Amino acid sequence: MKFEHFLEKNEIREVTIFKQLVLSGGTLTYSAMLEHLNVTKASLDNDLDSIAARIQVFKGEVEISYDGNQITLIMSDEMSLQKIYRLYLSQSIKVQLINFLFKHQEFSILQLTQELAISDSSLFRKIKELNKYLKEFEIKIRNGRLQGEELQIRYFYFQFYGYIEDKNVLMANRANKQISQAVQAVENFLQVSIDSENKQRLNQWMIISKHRVTSKNKKYVYLRKQMKPYLKDPLYQKIRIMVLRYFSRYSIEVDEEEAMLHFAFLLAFPILTEPDFHEYALIRDRRAPIATLDTYIVETIIIHFKYRKLHYMLERDMFYHLSHIHTRLYFFQGDIEVYEYEELMAKEQEFTGRSLYSFAQRLLKTSTEKFEVNTDENNSLLKMELLKYISLLTIVTFKMTTVVEIGIDLRMDQIYKETLNQLLLLKMRHINGTKIEGYRAGKAYDLILTNEQPADQKHYGDAKVYVLSEILSPFDLQNIQTLIQELNT
Amino acid sequence: MKVVIIGASYAGVAAALEVRKQHKDAEVILLEKQPTLGYIPNGLHLYWNDQIRSLDEAYFITEKQLKVQQIHFQLNTTVKKIHSVLKEVIYDQNGIEEKLTYDKLIIATGSSQLSQKIIGSDSEQVVRYKRHEEAEAALATIKASKRVAIIGGGQVGIEAADLLSRQQKQVTLIESMNYVLFKYFDEEMIQPVQRKMNEQGVDLRLNETVSAIQSEAEQSAVIQLGTDSITSDTVLLSVNVRPDLHFLDEHIQLHMDQTIAVDEYMRTSAKDVFAIGDCIQLTFGEDSEMAYIPLVNNAVRTGIVAASNIERANIPFKGSLRTIGTFVFGYYIASTGITEAESLFTSQTVKSVRQEVRLNSLSNSETVMIKWIYDESSRVLLGAQLVSKTDILEKINILALAIQTKQTLEDLQQKDFFFHPAYTSLLSTTNLSTWLHEEEDEDEI
Repeated sequence: MKFEHFLEKNEIREVTIFKQLVLSGGTLTYSAMLEHLNVTKASLDNDLDSIAARIQVFKGEVEISYDGNQITLIMSDEMSLQKIYRLYLSQSIKVQLINFLFKHQEFSILQLTQELAISDSSLFRKIKELNKYLKEFEIKIRNGRLQGEELQIRYFYFQFYGYIEDKNVLMANRANKQISQAVQAVENFLQVSIDSENKQRLNQWMIISKHRVTSKNKKYVYLRKQMKPYLKDPLYQKIRIMVLRYFSRYSIEVDEEEAMLHFAFLLAFPILTEPDFHEYALIRDRRAPIATLDTYIVETIIIHFKYRKLHYMLERDMFYHLSHIHTRLYFFQGDIEVYEYEELMAKEQEFTGRSLYSFAQRLLKTSTEKFEVNTDENNSLLKMELLKYISLLTIVTFKMTTVVEIGIDLRMDQIYKETLNQLLLLKMRHINGTKIEGYRAGKAYDLILTNEQPADQKHYGDAKVYVLSEILSPFDLQNIQTLIQELNT
Repeated sequence: MKVVIIGASYAGVAAALEVRKQHKDAEVILLEKQPTLGYIPNGLHLYWNDQIRSLDEAYFITEKQLKVQQIHFQLNTTVKKIHSVLKEVIYDQNGIEEKLTYDKLIIATGSSQLSQKIIGSDSEQVVRYKRHEEAEAALATIKASKRVAIIGGGQVGIEAADLLSRQQKQVTLIESMNYVLFKYFDEEMIQPVQRKMNEQGVDLRLNETVSAIQSEAEQSAVIQLGTDSITSDTVLLSVNVRPDLHFLDEHIQLHMDQTIAVDEYMRTSAKDVFAIGDCIQLTFGEDSEMAYIPLVNNAVRTGIVAASNIERANIPFKGSLRTIGTFVFGYYIASTGITEAESLFTSQTVKSVRQEVRLNSLSNSETVMIKWIYDESSRVLLGAQLVSKTDILEKINILALAIQTKQTLEDLQQKDFFFHPAYTSLLSTTNLSTWLHEEEDEDEI
C-alpha cells in the first residue's frame, strides 16, 4: 500500500507534478511534463489550475508558475514535499473514512454518508477501493466495521497514523495521563529504558490499543498460532503479567491475547534499545523461529562476504536489526510504503558501489520460505523488508570494509602522467573503502595500478599489481572493482 | 423529594438509610431484582465455616428494619430502562412492566461474576453464589461433588478453596497471574499461604487462563487451559466481578471499562442521577488515579456520600485504599493501599521494607510479617500488608488510617499506642519498630 492509494487519480497526478519538479531541479518544460504524466494538454492545464487553487492555503510559501514553455516550482525554505503531501491527504475522503472507522469502530452507511458528505454510491466505491489496498493487510471494511485479525487491525492503524494521517489527529484528546502511565509501566515492568522517539511510537500504539481493547469479536487465530513457540518466552511472560495486572484495576475482562499483541509489537518495531534487546536476546529461546532465523541469516551474511570474524558490536547490531525484520515477517502482513522504493534502491546501488540487491533478495526468499509467509510480489511488507535487508547489508559492508591503499604508477611523460592520475582518482573516488594516490616509492600499497608490466615487482612489496589495458576504460574499472572487493574480504 | 434507589445490597441500603437520616420527609424507594434484600454476598462461606446455621441468617439488614425507617422496597423488580430526561424508571415486576418517576435516582445495581471470554461459563456444572438463590443451588451441587475446580484466586476463590479443602473436597484452583491474591499482596508475602494451600492438598494452577468449560458425561466438566485440561464435578466461578448496566440511557456516560463515570460527589453525567458501589470506579492511590474496586466497604461509603449530596454537592468521596482482611489456610491476612508490584504503574518511586515483628513481650510470642510500602522521597506510607497466624486483622485499619491521613514512617513511630507486655512488644506493631527483629529487605528504615 502506498500513500497515493488514499488519493484520487487527479490528486495523484497533481502530487506527481510537484515531485517531478523537485526531482528536476524546480523547472521542467511543459512538453516534458505532458510526456511524463502521459495526459492531454487540457488535463495538465486542469491540474495546474487545481494546484493553484489548492496551494492558496500556503499563502505564497509554495508557487507553481507556467510561462507558456516551462513549469517552475518555487518553495520557501520551510516548505517541503511532505507538507504538500500532507495537504492532499488531509483532504482525502479515504483518510477521513479510516479516521471515522477508528473513532467509532462501527458505522452505518447513513452515518458515513452524512459525515463525509458523499453519496451512497461514491461511499461504496471508496470502500471498495480501500478494500483492494487493505487486502495485503488481510483486513477489510465490511458490515460497518474493520474486520480481520486484531493484530493486523492495530498494525494497520499504527502505520496509518504513523505515515498517512497527521499524528496529532490521534494524539489530540487521546494522549492523556493514562497513556503516559502505561508507557511508563512498560519501562518499569520490563526494566528497560525507551528513547523519546520510540516512546512516541509506543504512545501511539497504546492509544490504538486502549481504543481497541473493549471492541467486540476480536480475532486472534493467526496470532495464537504464531505465538505457540513463545508462550514461555521470558519477555512475553513479563508482558503478560503487566497486562493482566493493568486490567485487573478496571472492570475489563481482558483477552489473554492482549499481551501477545504487545509482544509482537515490541519486538517488530524498534522500541527497545539495542542494549535492552541484547539482554533479551541472551535469555530468549534460541530454537524459537525468529531467533533461529536471525542466527541463520547472520551466518549466511558472514559466509557470503567471507568474513572471518565480525566485530562484536557489529554482530549485536545485526541481530538487533534482523530480529525486527524477522519479527515483522513472522507476525505481520502488509505495509505502507513510506519510502519511494525504486528510487531508494537506485541510490543504494550507487552508494555501495556494487549491488547488494540480489543478495538481499536471496535473504528475503530464505526468510519467507522458512516462515512460510505470503510471498506476493506486490506485498509492500516484502518490499520494505527487502529494503531493510539492503540497508543492513550496506551497514555491514561499510563497517567491515578495510581501507585498500592504491597507488597509481603510470609510466609515461610527466605531463600526461599528472593529468591521467587526476582523472583516475576522480573516476575511482566513489568506490567505497579505498585510498588512492600517485605512487610514492617506499610506501606499502595493497594494489598498484600501472600501464606497463614491470620487469621487476620487488619494489612494490606484497602489493597486487594490475596492468591497465586502456587507461580509463570501463573494462579496467570493472576489473579493479572486483579486485578491491576481493582485497576487502 | 422522591428518591429511587436501584439495588438493595450494601450500597443501596446504605444510601437509603442515609437519605432517610438526612431527609425526614423524603420518599425513599428501593428496587431489588432478587426476591430478598440485604443478603450478605458470599454468605455461603459463613455457613461452610459454621458461623451461621443456615443461609437465612446471612443478612445484614431485615425488611422490618427498613420498614421502621419508612423505606419502601419492591422485590423481584428488574429495571429495564432509565429515561434520565423524563426522570423515569421502567421496570418489570413479576412479568408486568411498570413505570416509576423520580426526583433523584441512585444506581446501586452492584456486580456479578460473569465471564464473556470463557466459553461455557454458563453451563450447568458452573456455580457462583454471590446471591442467596445462587448460594442455595451451589450448596447442594457442591455437597454432591468430590472434585471442585475454582477459577480465580482472589479473595472469594481462596476462601472457598480453604473451606472446601477442609471438607475433604479435591480442590483445584486456577489463577491467570503468577500468584494468588495479587491485587492485595506482593508475591513474597503470600508465599506462606500458597505453601499451606499445597500442604492442604489444593492443586494450585498458576499462570493459567481458562478458555472453555465443557460439560461431560456423568455430570462432570472439562476445563480447558492453555495446553492442559482439568476434569471436575463442579466449577466455581470466582473471577472478577463486573456490573451489568445495559438499562442506562445515552445521557449517562460510561468509562472505557463500562462502569459509570461519576464525579467525587457520586453524580453521573445525567442530572439528579447518582451511581455508587460496584457500578463505578473510585479514586485510588496517589494522583487521584481511578480504579475499579468492588468492595463492600466502598459500597457503603459511596452510598453515604451519594445520599449526602442528593440535594447539592456537599461531601466529596475521600477515595479508596482497597482495604481487606480475611482468614485463609491458617493465616490472617490483611492489606491496604498500593502494593509494591502495582507501584510500577505510578510515576512515584516507592520503597518497601518487610519485617517480622513479635506481637507481645512473652517468650512464646507469635509474630506478624509486615510489609510497609512508602514514597521514597517523602517517606509517606502508601501501603501495608500483614500476614500472621494470630488475628491481627484490626491492625490494618490503623494502617489504613495512617495512609489516609498521609503519615510518614517517622510519624508512625511517634504514635501514642498503649504498652502491655502481654499484648505488645517493646513498641506497638503499628509503631513501626526498627530494632529487635529481623529485617528481610535491604531497604533500611
